Amino acid sequence: MKGRRTFLKIAITGAVAFFVFVWNKLTLQHLRTSSGKQHTFPFNKNKTVAFNGGFIVVTKPEIRVFSAHCTHLGCKIDKMQGDRLVCPCHGSEYDLEGKVLKGPAYRDLTEMKASISEDATTLTIEG
Amino acid sequence: MKQKKNKTTFGTLALAMFWLVVLSGVVLAIPFDIKDPYLSISSIMVLNPWASIIRNFHYWSSQFFLLLSLIHLYDHFHRRGKIALKPGLAFRLSFSLLIIFLAMITGFLLKGDADSLQARQILQTLAERIPLIGKSLAYSILGDADSYQLIYVHHIATFTVFIAIAMVEHSRKYWPPATDFVLSTFGTLLISYFLSAPLHDNLNPAVKGPWYFVGFQEILHWLQHPAWSLLLFLGILILVYLVNTTKDKTMFRSKRTLLIFTIAYSVLTLTGLFFRGENWKWAMPWNEEYKYSVLHNFRTPGIDFTPDFTLEVGIAAPVVRGRKESCLACHNETHGFTDSHAAQAIGCISCHLGNPFATDKKQSHQNMILIPGNLSTAPQTCGTTQCHPEIVERVPTGLMSTLSGMISVDRFVFNEQDNPDSLTNVHQLGDSPADEHLRNLCVRCHLGNPKTELGPINEFSRGGGCLACHLNYSPEAEKALAGNTGEMINTHPQISLKVSNNHCFGCHSRSGRISTNYEGWHETTLLAGEMPDSSNYRLIENERVFVKQPADVHHELGMECIDCHHSYELMGDGTHYSHQENQQDVQCSDCHIEGEPRTIAAENLDNESAIIAALRFGNISGKEFLVTEKHKRALINTYFENDSIWFLTKNTGKKMAMKAPAAVCSRNEAHSGLACSSCHTAWAPTCIGCHNEYDANERGYNMIKNHEQTGSWVEYIGEYKAKLPTLGNRKNEGKTEIIPVLPGMIMTTDLKSFTNDNQDGTIFHRLYAPAAPHTTSSKGRSCVSCHNNPLALGYGEGKLEYLIENGKGKWEFQALYAADKNDGLPADAWIDFLQTREGKVSTRSDVFPLNVDQQQRTLTVGACLTCHDEKSDVMQKNLNHFDDLLKKRSAKCILPEWK
Repeated sequence: MKGRRTFLKIAITGAVAFFVFVWNKLTLQHLRTSSGKQHTFPFNKNKTVAFNGGFIVVTKPEIRVFSAHCTHLGCKIDKMQGDRLVCPCHGSEYDLEGKVLKGPAYRDLTEMKASISEDATTLTIEG
Repeated sequence: MKQKKNKTTFGTLALAMFWLVVLSGVVLAIPFDIKDPYLSISSIMVLNPWASIIRNFHYWSSQFFLLLSLIHLYDHFHRRGKIALKPGLAFRLSFSLLIIFLAMITGFLLKGDADSLQARQILQTLAERIPLIGKSLAYSILGDADSYQLIYVHHIATFTVFIAIAMVEHSRKYWPPATDFVLSTFGTLLISYFLSAPLHDNLNPAVKGPWYFVGFQEILHWLQHPAWSLLLFLGILILVYLVNTTKDKTMFRSKRTLLIFTIAYSVLTLTGLFFRGENWKWAMPWNEEYKYSVLHNFRTPGIDFTPDFTLEVGIAAPVVRGRKESCLACHNETHGFTDSHAAQAIGCISCHLGNPFATDKKQSHQNMILIPGNLSTAPQTCGTTQCHPEIVERVPTGLMSTLSGMISVDRFVFNEQDNPDSLTNVHQLGDSPADEHLRNLCVRCHLGNPKTELGPINEFSRGGGCLACHLNYSPEAEKALAGNTGEMINTHPQISLKVSNNHCFGCHSRSGRISTNYEGWHETTLLAGEMPDSSNYRLIENERVFVKQPADVHHELGMECIDCHHSYELMGDGTHYSHQENQQDVQCSDCHIEGEPRTIAAENLDNESAIIAALRFGNISGKEFLVTEKHKRALINTYFENDSIWFLTKNTGKKMAMKAPAAVCSRNEAHSGLACSSCHTAWAPTCIGCHNEYDANERGYNMIKNHEQTGSWVEYIGEYKAKLPTLGNRKNEGKTEIIPVLPGMIMTTDLKSFTNDNQDGTIFHRLYAPAAPHTTSSKGRSCVSCHNNPLALGYGEGKLEYLIENGKGKWEFQALYAADKNDGLPADAWIDFLQTREGKVSTRSDVFPLNVDQQQRTLTVGACLTCHDEKSDVMQKNLNHFDDLLKKRSAKCILPEWK
């Protein structure tokens, strides 16, 4: 009786572990197949800072694209106060080079790979 | 036994609530649309009160379910003795607590509003940071960023089913007692009728999670590595498990720890709910923005089954920025907007706030801002994230908002400041004599002075924030307002770029009076009743009498104030300036160019200038615009084409070719150090002999608080005259420029009348002020108007004569005005004849009278002009090689001698 119980416990744990393994693999595989998207936006080089969905496009002193997600908890940054990018959730602040000026965030904004079309009218952001 | 089975407990009430949540959820699924949750919920609230009450019911029953479940848990813990559940059941129960919170938060996410979107980001980030399975877990719960499919599935199925199983398993009950069910139903229904489930208007910048996670949001705010906070959840689940399974000390300590945590978390929750505002900054009830950034979260309308509009009209109302606004169901015929501010584009609440999801007038209009654009509320209206935040941030830094120069000079004149250039702000006035003087007589014109009454901007208007310049009433709108007896007005005034001279007039027809000068009107000391019946006179503000003088040449050409002054001058450029001439950017030489112009291509324009240019003039691509020399700003109504400079009036589009300066202006010999306005100012209003004293019984006015008061500074004026300006030196950055100046402050101030202190006497000042009179004439002033004119040289009016006696020449001056008892100079003089002054001589630190050498050189030419006509060949040659010509002069030419 005791042996049967132990066997069942091990079998159930194994089944759950197998399920978790398959679920993890399945999801990661799905994420891989659906990632690598490109995002294309109209580009305005005269706008010093533009908030395009999940991205922040800064044109001065040089053109750089950052993820708009605060490195603290991922909240979307959608505004500036003075010359600072400010997170609405907990008030983290970044300069226009994506550097943290005020916490709670401690990591700089993630810079994205981006390219500008030849006629400088569209911006394509990778990922 | 039967009685015990049906006994009402927190557990049975929670069970009742669970069934209510499930039932209402099933019904709510009918109108809810996962493709566009925010629009579907706002539509429910605006158009479908039955769906709305079910949504409220679903919301409130779920909140009560959470609360009752927690209380039920506490109730069990509260009992002395062990609970001693089997480990498996205890584990599932502890885990179900987490699942309840997940069911709640997914419901919160399904609103799709600003709060939900940010909460979703936080949840995703936290989940992703769980080691090994984080990415999978986050995606499995939340799915694709732009889809609500998985969230919805988990909310209605995964989590709900798990909770149901856990409940039934531990309570062995499927159904609550009938009484509990009935009581819960009606109790929740009642609350659902009066209080709607929250929905963010997506306009207010304050974002918060659901009330039960606001404490957690506060904790996260303190953590640099927020992933560690997940251990808190794990810790709580373990503690709950231990309470349910262990006994004695372990159980007691677990209970105690949970209790302490609950108390601490409650404090954090209250902190987050009531003392955190925009950007999670501290917000206190006594702060001005508290109502907007904190209390806003608690405003929620009740259900109205008979909305103030028909369903058809509500359906026809446009969707604005992803939401349905009830405002447009009633105000469906409102018209008169410009395209960019049309209600169909930005809705009503973008400007007027109020509640866009309420369906009756009273609730909709609650906390509404009837007159938006005042600077105190501009960040909530014109300056919200989606509109003009960068401009609203700049405007308060500009001089029209701070009045820094006016305040600083006044304090300087009252001997309260060492220099007239300190940066100050109208919102920081104290109780000093100068500050009270400012409050009584000067500071009504700052942009922050709120507009409090409906109607167009006119000559009586002062301040008004954004509306001060951008409000325009069409004749129809004005008529509708005038004839209104309380019913709804359908004609809306315009917010537009059409800034006319009338917008500037109310404030700028005072002090330097550039608005009236520009149009060719000079203020007199006549009373309204004394005004002659003639078109040469004009009555302003029903009491000020003006007389005709030559208008500015730019006015004659149809140009308005904004044709020269661009957006960064008028709305500030973010820099605090001491005086208007520092903030003012455009100079004559920016447009009247000799040689190669400074230009900027349309594609390189800054965004603001590009938008304004495109709105005003359409397609601007390929255009080359002029750029100012001083602040390097684009002049969007000018362009360079085919070697010519063209100018367009901003409001009327009138095209003109820009003239280069005359040859006499652009050579580098005599007069190269003169500002254009030194010669081209036709006249300027002057005032001398002013006296200020405080009268404790005088009916006065507090211009900051906008109310009448007893006791006020009173200004007694001497006389107003329209004269040619005096010339002075502006010295800065190693450069000296001759500029027009006026007797700005030749005045006495009876300080003792205010302070009642015998040690305070009468202050006397003889200060001239730099001037920009805005009375430009195309032809410069004559040579003699400077070289033979005592007024131009700073001596004041009088008889200036060149006398030759015994072969020696000398200048003599006889003042018109008697010597002032305070300093012995004539009442209107800046300096004594052929003398100069230093120290406190002007209302600026960098403006001085002509020095003795400058006066002598000017008068030397003046001596020549007493015989030679200014148009004569010899005088024209003088302009280039004066010193050479002097050497070749004939014996008849007697130069002045200086003692």
